[in-house]
Amino acid sequence: MDDDYYSIDSILAENQKIQCTFKIDIPDMGHLDGGNEHDIKALSKAQIPMWMAYILIYSDYADFTIPPPFSARVRNALNAEARSVRLSNLVGQGGLWYGFGRMIMRLLNDAPAREISDVLIKTFRARLPEVIDQAQHFAAVHAASGPGGGGAALASDETTMAFREGLDGTERELFVLAQKSARRTKRWYDSSERGRR
Amino acid sequence: MALPPSLRTTATPAELELIASEQLVEIVPLVAMERTAFISGAYGPLRPPTKCKMPIWMATNLKLKKKCHIVPPDWLNVEYLQERLARETSEPEFSELPFRFAEVAKVLLDVASDDISSPDKVRSLLQDIREARQAKSREGLSKLDHSELSLPNLCSMEINEIRPFFVRSMSILTQLVREPETRQMDQFE
Repeated sequence: MDDDYYSIDSILAENQKIQCTFKIDIPDMGHLDGGNEHDIKALSKAQIPMWMAYILIYSDYADFTIPPPFSARVRNALNAEARSVRLSNLVGQGGLWYGFGRMIMRLLNDAPAREISDVLIKTFRARLPEVIDQAQHFAAVHAASGPGGGGAALASDETTMAFREGLDGTERELFVLAQKSARRTKRWYDSSERGRR
Repeated sequence: MALPPSLRTTATPAELELIASEQLVEIVPLVAMERTAFISGAYGPLRPPTKCKMPIWMATNLKLKKKCHIVPPDWLNVEYLQERLARETSEPEFSELPFRFAEVAKVLLDVASDDISSPDKVRSLLQDIREARQAKSREGLSKLDHSELSLPNLCSMEINEIRPFFVRSMSILTQLVREPETRQMDQFE
């Protein structure tokens, strides 16, 4: 999620494709579309990865449409109940929905950008307590089994399970942070001094 | 850095315990000892049965050798903690407790539970307080803001536990907010 040049996460988030419509003819670049055409014609559409889309859009060679993970349908679902949307399904397994959203936000200006930003923030806020709650719950359940032993093989009800599967990469990272820290603290509370001294 | 990631973001509970063990606690010595100089200062002399102030690490050491009784601090008893628990559950804010109460209480309950009156009751009260406070910090999570966070009276162990993911969440929020300056200007207009 960082802007760091070396951030792997940021590179991965840039790998998402968005739908672009070319405004002008571009000769000898037909292979970008995966087609057999030799040139790209104006008004033709193509799925272009973010890292290339930037330069096309800024140079005014192409226009883009808001990608499906941020479509009105998804936004409505998020407004209704952010916790029941599976973000990971929207951007692929291990995808970075927030990172992707931030890039879209940068491509837009003023009102639409603010709209996306609001969607991102609202969603993040709404989902965060649940992420941390579950992380702490799992830490408590698996405190005895030590690091690495947690996560798998727990029979819990389906909604929490679905929520965990729907976490996007950024939330996953937070989940792990919270789980580790809670587990460490719990182990300290449970340990006894007497043996050590 | 060579430190594993988990140690970079926050201190371990054991480290906090070490820091807390520098605090002074009152003991009733059972052996006599001259005033002795340590790196952190000089402590003593021990003249039974006169009370004396010692760092916790030294008091626990003497206690384990059965050479003193530890006088629990004035907040480590059933009445005080019961009152705090009542406040904790009835008021929205965190109630005021010593900054390192969790560490000190644990060490003393571990090595000197016979010096504390009804240690089991104290233990369960501390546990209840901890849970009540945890519920509050979870609530604070939903009000998380990208620029500031105010949870007064949070104590060191609790801060340490929530630090990694609070900091991370806040930095994520910062990145999701579009140009914080202009947003704030809008609010003032």
